[in-house]
Amino acid sequence: MKVRKMVVLVGLCVLGLLAGCGSDGSSGASKDAASQGGPEADSGSEAGAGSMGGGYVFEADGVQIAVDGDMAPVAEALGEPSSYFEEPSCAAQGIAKLYTYPGFTVETYPDGDKDLVASVILKDDTVATPEGVDLSMTKEQVIEIYGNGGQEAAGSLTYEKGGMKLRFILDGDYIAAIEYNSAVLD
Amino acid sequence: MKKSIKRQAVCLILSAAAVLAVLYFLQRLLMPKYMSGVVEGAMVSEYYGEEKDHDVIFIGDCELYENISPMVLWEEYGINSYIRGTAQQLIWQSYYLMEETFAYETPEVVVFNVLSMKYDEPQKEAYNRMTLDGMRWSGSKVASIRASMLEEEHFAEYLFPLLRYHSRWKELTAEDLEYFWKREPVTHNGYYMRVDVLPAKDVPEGKALADYRFGENAYYYLDRMVELCEKHNVELVLVKAPSLYPAWYDQWEEQIEGYAREHGLKYYNFLELTEEIGLDFQQDTYDGGLHLNLSGAEKLASYFGKCLSEDCSLRNRRGEEELERIWEEKQRRYEEEIQRQSMGL
Repeated sequence: MKVRKMVVLVGLCVLGLLAGCGSDGSSGASKDAASQGGPEADSGSEAGAGSMGGGYVFEADGVQIAVDGDMAPVAEALGEPSSYFEEPSCAAQGIAKLYTYPGFTVETYPDGDKDLVASVILKDDTVATPEGVDLSMTKEQVIEIYGNGGQEAAGSLTYEKGGMKLRFILDGDYIAAIEYNSAVLD
Repeated sequence: MKKSIKRQAVCLILSAAAVLAVLYFLQRLLMPKYMSGVVEGAMVSEYYGEEKDHDVIFIGDCELYENISPMVLWEEYGINSYIRGTAQQLIWQSYYLMEETFAYETPEVVVFNVLSMKYDEPQKEAYNRMTLDGMRWSGSKVASIRASMLEEEHFAEYLFPLLRYHSRWKELTAEDLEYFWKREPVTHNGYYMRVDVLPAKDVPEGKALADYRFGENAYYYLDRMVELCEKHNVELVLVKAPSLYPAWYDQWEEQIEGYAREHGLKYYNFLELTEEIGLDFQQDTYDGGLHLNLSGAEKLASYFGKCLSEDCSLRNRRGEEELERIWEEKQRRYEEEIQRQSMGL
């Protein structure tokens, strides 16, 4: 009798193992979504995070480009990019896309049927942040405008806000590039 | 009384065995098979079925397994080679694959692609899984898992993949039954073949980086690779594949050149040799310059085979009866795959 009880108990434990922890983020179904059944190679995230939640937002020709926002309306509003490049991830479904416009590039990451903005990179001084920083300026001027709250690391000064990162890539005291980055892809 | 205890013990053992068997079958059923679509997850385990008598082992990421054809190395130079490649293989994973390989065989040369030096910490679980799940259990696998795990990953899920894949039952397909016991090879000695063409166009420049120095962890494992190869009397050769994107920065090139010089290693940057190799990125790539297609991979193999033969003094093994037989069979599969892909099947 005891043996039967033990067998039933072990059986229940197995069933519990298989069915019980499916919703647990650490080992559950949420990570099992790729069509091969393996973990997804490309990050998935909820749209509307990042700068859609109050972070720094770049603006070009009156079009706001927020990281983690949908790229489709942005691409439509900005018109034909000067160049476009697709980077399929190794062994993954989905393609990272790179749109180059005068002075800046926008890189996207796939999220379901949508392409969300992964980063906006300002590459020359024909464009500037809405707060007024461009590539002709110095680190000191960045601090004057954005304050002392930035994190300095080797070659960069980063401001985090609303779940996104605004990063100034430095070349000595000067700015080599300005990046609006999604924190989702960190 | 004694008989009753004995009977209970037998029942208990049988019950435990039955439960273990059920768990084993479930795990086998639920683990991804990687036989179509994302086939990269099936690459690592293919090696174990090979004859372990290779002259050259390539270890690295997609810049190796999509860019060089071992078939051409054999045909033109009699070099018996194998690519132990996986998607976004990180340098510690390469190190432990190398260590594991040396437990099976001692090649003359190990070739390592240096792009992965840019990663200093674990990246994505999906890529970890594609490299680690297929490895046989060994100290190397355990160490590789420990070095690769992200914060949210758990060793137990690698030890018992059922814990990780249990909810896959909703996505099971006929493929999971078809390949329950046996897998089909997805590579040709580790080479992932693509015959289609997508010309390179508008390849972007690399973005400015805050810090161009490779990380300490990356250097640590490169140092260990050097030491491991020295210990086994194997020549380590560094290469940078001729992929146009992602960017390979001049600052990175300087560091690798310096490292190779300092450690007496041969280093070939094929990006600087594309003309000499005869690569035409309007014809020789299937994804706009990220990876080579068959035509490009054969050109690179033809070029690099000469380097390996001459610079590393590898002997031509054509004519060895057993190897000829093995490669004849491999060539048949290779040609069939070319045919199949060319017909769009």
